[in-house]
Formats: sequence, C-alpha cells, structure tokens
Amino acid sequence: MTADTVLEVKNLKTWFYTRRGIVKAVNGVDFTLRRGECLCLVGESGCGKTVTALSILRLFDSPPGRIVEGEVIYKGLDLASCTIQRLRQIRGKDIAMVFQNAQSALNPVFTIGDQIVEQINAHGQVSRADAVAKACRLLEEMKISQPERALKMYPHQMSGGMKQRAMIAMSLSCDPCILIADEPTTAVDVTIRAQIMHILQELKANRDMSIIFITHDLSLVREIGDRAAVFYGGKVVEVDTVEHILESPAHPYTIGLMRCLPDISTDSKRLPSIPGNTPNPIDMPAGCSFHPRCQEVMEVCHSKDPALMNIAGVHAVACHLFSAAGGKN
Amino acid sequence: MTETRSMTRGKAGMPVYINRRLMNYYWERLKKNRLSLVGLGFIVFLALVGIFGPLFVQDPQKVDFEIKNMPPLGCSIQESVYDIKTSEFTTTLINGRADHPLGTDSKGRDMLAMLIAGSRISLLVGLLASGMAIFLGTFIGVLSAYLGGWVDNALMRFTDIMMTFPFFLLLVLIVFIFGPSLAIIVLVIGLTGWTGAARLIRSEALSLRTRDFITASKALGASDARVMFNHLIPNVISLIIVMATLSIPGVIMAEAALSFIGLGDPMSTSWGTILNTGQHSLDTAWWVAVEPGIMLFFTVLSFNFFGDGLRDAFDPKASV
Repeated sequence: MTADTVLEVKNLKTWFYTRRGIVKAVNGVDFTLRRGECLCLVGESGCGKTVTALSILRLFDSPPGRIVEGEVIYKGLDLASCTIQRLRQIRGKDIAMVFQNAQSALNPVFTIGDQIVEQINAHGQVSRADAVAKACRLLEEMKISQPERALKMYPHQMSGGMKQRAMIAMSLSCDPCILIADEPTTAVDVTIRAQIMHILQELKANRDMSIIFITHDLSLVREIGDRAAVFYGGKVVEVDTVEHILESPAHPYTIGLMRCLPDISTDSKRLPSIPGNTPNPIDMPAGCSFHPRCQEVMEVCHSKDPALMNIAGVHAVACHLFSAAGGKN
Repeated sequence: MTETRSMTRGKAGMPVYINRRLMNYYWERLKKNRLSLVGLGFIVFLALVGIFGPLFVQDPQKVDFEIKNMPPLGCSIQESVYDIKTSEFTTTLINGRADHPLGTDSKGRDMLAMLIAGSRISLLVGLLASGMAIFLGTFIGVLSAYLGGWVDNALMRFTDIMMTFPFFLLLVLIVFIFGPSLAIIVLVIGLTGWTGAARLIRSEALSLRTRDFITASKALGASDARVMFNHLIPNVISLIIVMATLSIPGVIMAEAALSFIGLGDPMSTSWGTILNTGQHSLDTAWWVAVEPGIMLFFTVLSFNFFGDGLRDAFDPKASV
C-alpha cells in the first residue's frame, strides 16, 4: 500500500445466498484507488461492477448478500468488517455514492434543499442557515442556474440532468474524498452527459477527489479515466492505465471488448461481438471463467483459475497467457 | 440560531416540508368532491359543538321528573294520566318547549345538552383511539417492512394473532374485567385496532424500501431510524391520513355499541347511552332514541365521505 493509496480492495467476495443457489456476484476483486485519480470499473452487465461498488459501503441487501471474504481498506480501517456504526460515519462523509437513476434516488416528498440540508445535518450539527448556504453553494458548483430557486423545487419539478446534478451536489455535501459514481450518465441524454462528465472532471481537479466511475461506455472511460479495471464474471481481469487498456489491451476478454467498439474508420457492416454469453453467476465455469468464450483457450484454462498478476508496474492481468515475470508466454 | 432551528425544524430533526402550493393542490382536488366537503363541514361543526357546546347548555346529567318526556320543539304528544280520585283518564296534549328544543328523556334530562356532551365523547374517543391505532400500526408496519427478516416475520405473525381476536368480544371482556371507563375503552380500541393499518403501511413501505432513494440516503450515512422516520414515513403520510379518517367512524360506532349494551363509561353521557335509555320508550318518546341515532348516522357518514374525498385527492392516479 503506497502513500497515495486511499482505498484498497483485497480479494473481495460478495455472495448472495438465494433459493436457487449461491450467486457469486463479486468473487475475488482486487484493486487500489489512488488520491485524485479516476478509476473506471468497466464490464458487461452483470459482471459485478455495481455489487463491488455497493460492497465498498456494504449497501447491498443483507440477507441474502454477504461479504464472505476480503477486505476494503480505507485509512487503515477494514470497511468490510468494521461495525455498522463506524461505517455509517464513513458513508457520505468520506465515501459518497451517486446512483444511476437520480429520479428514483431522490426522495419524492422533499424539496432538493431539504434533502441536502438533511444530508449535511446527518453528519454533525450545522445551523440551518449555514446548511442552506452550503447547499446553495453546492448547487452553484454543479452549474445549476438559480440555485436558490432549485433548493425549493421537488424532484419531479426538475429535468433529468438537474436531478442528476442535484444528486451529485447532495453526495458532495460532506466533502467526501472518494466519490463512487455508478453509471451516473446512463439515464440522461448526451448533452447532459457531457455536462455531468465535465462536472466530474472539475471535481477531480479542484477537490483532489478520487472517483470510482462505473460504466459500460468505453468512450466515457477515455474521457475521464486515469486507470481502468476490466471486470468479468465477478473478477477483475485486467487493470491498466486507460490509454493502455484502450490501445493495447492484453487480456483476451479486453481485446474482444475493444473490438466490439464501432469504428468509424472502417466500413464493416457488422459489429464484431464476443461469442457466447456472460456466465451464469450461480454456475461459473471451472477454471478461468472466460475460457468457454476465449479465442486463445489453453488446456490449463479449463482447470486453473488465473490470478491477477502484475506484469509491469501499473499493468495487471489475470490470464494464463501471461506469466508473473511479465510478457506473453 | 437555535430559535430559528426550532422554528423551522420539528423535534425529530425532520425538515418541515409543508408546501403551500401542494396543500393548495390537494385542497383544490378535495373541493371538487362536494360530498367530502359536506362531510368536512359536518365534522368541523361537530368539533365546534363538542368543544364549545357544553359551555352554553345546562348540565346533561341534571334530572328533573317534572319535565320528563318532553317532545322536541314543534312536536306534540298526548299524555294520558289516570286520576285515582275521579278514576278516569285525563288526556292532555304536551307541546315541545323552547327551553328544551330537542325534548327531554324519561328522567327529564335535556336532550340537546346530552347530545352535545355525547358529541364531545364520540369525537374524543374517535380521535384518541384511532390516533393511537394508526400510530402503532405505522410504527409496526414500517419497522416490519424496513428491518425485514425475522423481525418482519415475528411482527407480522403477531399481527395475525391480534387479527384473530374477535375485537368486540375482547372489548367487552376487558371492560368487564377492568370496569367501564373511557380511558379503558380508548386503550383497548387503540391497542387492538392497529392491525389493518400495520399491514397496509407495511406493504407500502416494502415497495418504498427497495427504491433507490432509500439506498441513496443510506449511502450518504443515514441511520436506520433516520431512514425510517425521515424518508419512509413522510412517503406514506397521505396513506396514514386517509386511513385515520376512515377508521374514526368504526371507533365511534364501537364506543356507541359498548355504551348501548351498558358497558360504556357511566360517568359520561355518550350517544350510545342515550340510545340505550331511548330504546325502552321507543313507542312513546321516540325522539330519545332517534336523535342520537341521527347524530351517529351523520357523523359516520361525514367521516366516510371526507375520508373518500381525501383518498381521491391524495391519489395522483384518481381523476377528480
């Protein structure tokens, strides 16, 4: 753990004990988050990105969910095993979260102002006037015009983009140092998406904040990310700087993912895709969970699950094609 | 600064969210339902009568056999008195008198005074008992839905058990054991009547619990109590108001029924007690039973109309 690491996730396993079996939604995730960087969690639907984010703050429903193994180290404290009271002090104050759908993530019966003030009050007693002033400042920072007016609005009176920005303002109300953004732009249109991405970039620069950005949109990764962790089947299969991931991916899955991006320079009529489906999380394939779909599958892949290995400095990959020494076998 | 805080924030630290425009909106929707306005009018009238009425009339318990069985103003009855000395019937016509506009009962008590005292009792019992029932129901329902798991199971099975008690029989039994008093009646109705409310609130809270804003408030550090009281309950408040309004008539009827069968508070005059005294003389002094009956009828009807109107006003899907 280096000095500028703010959050370290080690071998995190979050399993859901359902009637149909154990869903291993997160099954051994490792990554570190550094100060002032934006780490993107990338992957297909159902690969465990969101559950990983929820696991950091233990926000999944329990039961059926349970962290069976692993640590989430924040400032020397293991969030995966600390008391819920301690965790509650961390939530919102140190680590805040922005949800995908602001429409449903805002309480419909309170005004935006009341919700932000409530949030400020949840962590330490601040006078109402101060809290309102702070809420107003936050909305201003989110580039909401007429913030005083917006404070008195109910969620249904706002546009989708305003709601998402109000949601971000709310999550920033206690000046957290880590922001987890779970697909914050999925539910908004492209112009609003640009605004929100711009705001997140400013936050990173101005507040020296670390951001965990969850998305399946690789163009957003290019725009905001410093490093990216590629998820597959509840595991991190590759971690690298965004440039490397996008330009020279190493893991066969990442390579396949990049090939799926529509390229404007070629005029192929058909988008390439990775053959097969995402594995059933109740019944993961033995060995490497990607092997049934892998183009370069080997004998060892059927039986042995590859560990995430550092190749060179920042680059880590979990694949039998690579040895610990680095380079391709 | 503490002054502004206490002014603008409730005791539980709940933000004040009364929005005048929203209130106007609900009021406009309610106004379109004429019947519910009539109901509201009658409830307000009854409340005013119950609060201020007893100040203006005589003591409802005052017995005066000289003026027993006086008919209401504008009515008259024939009274035949057998005279032992002359051994013949003398029939006289008795007219209603202005000082007893609604007549008197067989003990000469003023009906108007008794009805006014009765409206006070009925409203008091109705508000207190259903307030208590709804409070308990909300608390248990929200707790059950929010905490889930074995807590939910235990609370809901307890609710099931409470539901299996024949409510009125239980009421009779407890009043029989502890003696009739208004406090006992209120307590029993309040402590047994929460089951339906708990079920309804639980189902509503269950669907709210999975909504993102609950997870979001948890993600921002809200405690369980804060989530329940500041986020879940405000979202079901309209349901609570409607349920409370619609449960009041049942409580009023229960109290009247208890008093009617003689298990009411003997120290207070309730519509049920008047009905009870009136039933023996239904063929001669009909007004003693009819008048409290009419009051009960209109009160129950008013609360039902008003409750229906409120429900439609609060329901965004209802077209009014």
